[in-house]
Amino acid sequence: MLKINNLKAKVEEKSILNGFTLNINPGEVHAIMGPNGSGKSTLSNILSGKKGYDVSGEILFENSDLFSLETEERAHKGIFLAFQYPLEIPGVNTSVFLKTSLNAIRKARGEKELDALEFLKLVKQKSKDLKFDEEKLNRQLNVGFSGGEKKKNEILQMSILNPKLSILDETDSGLDIDALKIVANGVNSLRRKNNAFLIITHYQRLLDYIKPDHVHVLMNGKIIKSGGPELALELEKKGYESFS
Amino acid sequence: MKIDSSQISREKEIEKLKKYKYGFSTEIENIKAPKGLSEEVIKFISNMKKEPQWLLDWRLKAYNRLKALKEPDWQKPKYPKIDYQDLYYYSAPKSFKEKPKSLDDLDPKLLETYKKLGIPLQEQKRLNNIAVDAVFDSVSVATTFKDKLTEKGIIFCSISEAIQKHPELVKKYLGSVIPLTDHFFATLNSAVFTDGSFVYVPPGVRCPMELSTYFRINASDTGQFERTLIIADKGSYVSYLEGCTAPMRDENQLHAANVELVALDDAEIKYSTVQNWYPGDKDGKGGIYNFVTKRGLCKGKNSKISWTQVETGSAITWKYPSCILKGDNSIGEFYSIAITNNHQKADTGTKMIHIGKNTRSKIISKGISAGFSDMTYRGLVDIAAKANNSRNYTQCDSLLMGNKCGAHTVPYIKNKNSESNLAHEATTSKISEEQLHYCQQRGLNSEEAVGLIVNGFCKEVLQQLPMEFAVEAQKLVGISLEGSVG
Amino acid sequence: MEEQLKNDFEKSFKNSNFSSKSISLKKEFLNKFIKDGLPNKSLENWKFSDINQIIKKEIGDLSFYNDISTPNKIDSAIYLNGLEQNSIVFINGRAEKIDFQFEEKNKIEILDDFELNNNYSEINSLIDLNSAFVEKSFKILIKENYSLKKPLVIYHYTNKKIKSKNINLRLNFILEKNSSLKLIDVLNDISEKNFINTFYSFKLNQDAILKNYKIDNKNNNNIKYSFTNIEHEKNSLSETFIVSSGSNFNKNEINCNLNGKYASAFINGIFSLNKKKHHEIRTSVNHLTELTKSYQLIKSVLENEARAVYQGKIYVNSEAQKTDGYQLSKAVLLDETTEFNAKPELEIYADDVKCSHGSASGSLNENSIFYLMSRGLNYKEAKELLIKGFLLDVVEKITDSEIKNLIKNIVGLKE
Ligand SMILES: Nc1ncnc2c1ncn2[C@@H]1O[C@H](COP(=O)(O)OP(=O)(O)OP(=O)(O)O)[C@@H](O)[C@H]1O
Ligand SMILES: [Mg+2]
Repeated sequence: MLKINNLKAKVEEKSILNGFTLNINPGEVHAIMGPNGSGKSTLSNILSGKKGYDVSGEILFENSDLFSLETEERAHKGIFLAFQYPLEIPGVNTSVFLKTSLNAIRKARGEKELDALEFLKLVKQKSKDLKFDEEKLNRQLNVGFSGGEKKKNEILQMSILNPKLSILDETDSGLDIDALKIVANGVNSLRRKNNAFLIITHYQRLLDYIKPDHVHVLMNGKIIKSGGPELALELEKKGYESFS
Repeated sequence: MKIDSSQISREKEIEKLKKYKYGFSTEIENIKAPKGLSEEVIKFISNMKKEPQWLLDWRLKAYNRLKALKEPDWQKPKYPKIDYQDLYYYSAPKSFKEKPKSLDDLDPKLLETYKKLGIPLQEQKRLNNIAVDAVFDSVSVATTFKDKLTEKGIIFCSISEAIQKHPELVKKYLGSVIPLTDHFFATLNSAVFTDGSFVYVPPGVRCPMELSTYFRINASDTGQFERTLIIADKGSYVSYLEGCTAPMRDENQLHAANVELVALDDAEIKYSTVQNWYPGDKDGKGGIYNFVTKRGLCKGKNSKISWTQVETGSAITWKYPSCILKGDNSIGEFYSIAITNNHQKADTGTKMIHIGKNTRSKIISKGISAGFSDMTYRGLVDIAAKANNSRNYTQCDSLLMGNKCGAHTVPYIKNKNSESNLAHEATTSKISEEQLHYCQQRGLNSEEAVGLIVNGFCKEVLQQLPMEFAVEAQKLVGISLEGSVG
Repeated sequence: MEEQLKNDFEKSFKNSNFSSKSISLKKEFLNKFIKDGLPNKSLENWKFSDINQIIKKEIGDLSFYNDISTPNKIDSAIYLNGLEQNSIVFINGRAEKIDFQFEEKNKIEILDDFELNNNYSEINSLIDLNSAFVEKSFKILIKENYSLKKPLVIYHYTNKKIKSKNINLRLNFILEKNSSLKLIDVLNDISEKNFINTFYSFKLNQDAILKNYKIDNKNNNNIKYSFTNIEHEKNSLSETFIVSSGSNFNKNEINCNLNGKYASAFINGIFSLNKKKHHEIRTSVNHLTELTKSYQLIKSVLENEARAVYQGKIYVNSEAQKTDGYQLSKAVLLDETTEFNAKPELEIYADDVKCSHGSASGSLNENSIFYLMSRGLNYKEAKELLIKGFLLDVVEKITDSEIKNLIKNIVGLKE
């Protein structure tokens, strides 16, 4: 599904990723762990098409070149990024935003756009599943949301857009214990044979709930070690230092 | 490979400025006054409208005053000299020589025009709960829902009709807010105004529906000079909407309207405008010069006047809807969105004159400039020495899209009262790359993303509009900025 | 006035050392001034302060001839105490003393050079008046990499010998690369009813630093106008601080052109006015290239028929991306008779900028007064404390701690 080959990225002459390689197959869950500043968010930004990076290497998504696609085209193809720091957009109603987004993606895929009622039904169901307070849907997008509420809002969007590849950038940070379980359940319930997850986290705890197929350790812009779920446990015990 | 935003946007920069949707013109035979401005033309207009002598005298007084006035030149958008002798000051469909008694007598072409504009005048298709007065070039062609309003004692008709049927009201209030001698364009209007709307809401009456005027410039070489007068008597309420379009023509057309509002004790007037005159083509050719004078007088205590405007059209917009807060405890509000693109220019804002005690005013202005356009917010807040305990809050935000356009914020702040408080805030910025990226990650293309963010930026003002208008306005905001992303 | 101007001009320059070229240039300025006259309120920049009217009302007829042939004795009481300083002393417009005792002699050049350039002819008619009548046109050059060891204090002193006179002063400073200067202007007048017109120009070359403190705090009945132009090259910095309080009328104009990347301009000031005084600060900061920065904070406390005006403009041209511009003015009106006028203006042609301005005026916050009174202060004490805090906030922006303390003392804000 996703093939990243020898990806290098620089910002203003500063190297952030130095030959990053990763393969994700449909149905898989990958976890990436790494110390602060190791380049995790940079990776997810580049996958989502954020501008401003000097990049080289290759990224294929379902065998087509990702670099030739605009951010929104990637979203249409099913790439979803749950941002580490979800943006606030003043004046824009959360549920209007969600509907606009869903219909833009449906339209691009040649699917019928949902009307207000159908959308309302869908969003009500999903909010209920995720215990997302419906009142927030009528507030301005992320404005005045607490850190955890913003993260939950990201997961709500993910469940509504039903992407093929979901990238979760530290979605667990800032969530309370109950919310963490709900988010994990949300992810688990979305797991299918034909979709995949890339989960960026600092904490083994999340991986207790979402069992990853592969765990990678990212340091200095490179994967220095890959393994199964046991790698996360090892990391938790020993810390990053033992790997450097 | 370096991915930067300008590269991508340049690739995407396909010429896709949407054609101005209302740019058609209607072929209708017109009666016109002779070209030019003279005593004869003024007499011609007055005569055509069968006006009483006092009004003709009033017009002539304005005309004499006009001769001594100079066209102002302090505004930022400069425009080529207007030849006032090369304009028609009166143009009416020929079929109007006698005012049609009912819609059945209306020229079908006219009905068709308004249908195309989305303003059906016929009974069966009327807009829900909005009474419309349609002004075509110089004359009012139809007013809907008259009966329902009459029941409540509300007068809503063309000003020509009001002059005939309610001369005492017109005489009392016409020119009471914008004096004859005010300034060049206002005085010009007083001399040659042709038609417009008149509203009177009797004491204690809450107008049950939105009143609306729809302005349409059709004839070429014709200036449009409407006059609107709205009086809200004690304890009454009225909400009034104004919409405007014009055909696409290569020459510039002048629109110099006067709007006067009077709110007596405890009365409230809400005046909303969605201005979408033809802005000219993308090279700045043609378009309307929109030089209007709008002023409201909060005459009585506890009265309130609220202006809301969405200005997206016209080659040049130059207007300052103002409030004179004379009654104690009166309130003035100004909510504005102004968008300029291509070569459009706008110099707009408001004046809040605090005279009474405990007066309050609020100004929210959102300016967006794109392309090669230029936008100025110009405002005055003046708190007189006796206006104890008055308050003003002003917020002016500007968004710039690209570095070929300009945003100018010029507030004048005068405070002579130590018990009063004034606060003014202004910012200028661009749409943040991060916000754009977030929206695009959710599948919106860059234009949709910009439209969404800009609508969010304008929210506070859009919220002030009546529902039906808000949706229209929101679409207009998106359309106006098309082709400017990047 | 035309007759008077022409005669006074003749009288001033008939036996002067000026070259005939200079004289004819000066004549051009004179004619320009005769044509335009004193600025009045029909001009946008003078809308709030009609200096033509003010001079007419407060002074009446002005005389432009100023006899500077005889030296004046300097009263040592005028000097600022407790500050090691270089000094220039002007008495009634005559330069009595120029003393750079703390500095290396070869690092500073002083030229008394009337090499008038026409660059400044389009500003306003008062600059033309200045160019026509100014007697000395000092050019002070600070050499590359030299930082003055001690501040330079310029004393602008007038005594009873002059009345109804127009006095023109002009100083040009050139700060070469990586040099720095702290300059304090002290206004001190015993005279009455004169019009003093001062023009400063600064050229800050790369990495140069200028700190200019303008102090007008002694009550006097003169009318003052001062124009300061600061040209900024790359990475240069200017800090201007204005205490506007003493004169009957005073208008300070500051124009900063940020021509080089990373250049920054800071303009802060306080108006503390009473007794019918009318003061204005007008700033105009022009961001002309990318990555430049400006910051302005002006606070006013007004009572007893005083009037303060702040007109501040931030201009950003289309090249000046990543500009950071900020401007705030706040005023407290202590009684019914005062007036505060502001025109904070933004004119912006680049999209990637961060610019904002704010202005607030009104009464002292009653809640704060109440809070302080609940802690045992009486009304008057509470009010004074709040005003002090209000103004101190600006004084704290002064980056030189020695001068900051000095100014706190001068304006009575010592804690
Ligand atoms: N736009 C930028 N300009 C300069 N440096 C940047 C930029 N973006 C990222 N960096 C730097 O690149 C490095 C990697 O950043 P990144 O955000 O990818 O780290 P991370 O692994 O997500 O860290 P965290 O665990 O704290 O979220 C950091 O040192 C960061 O400061
Ligand atoms: Mg991160």
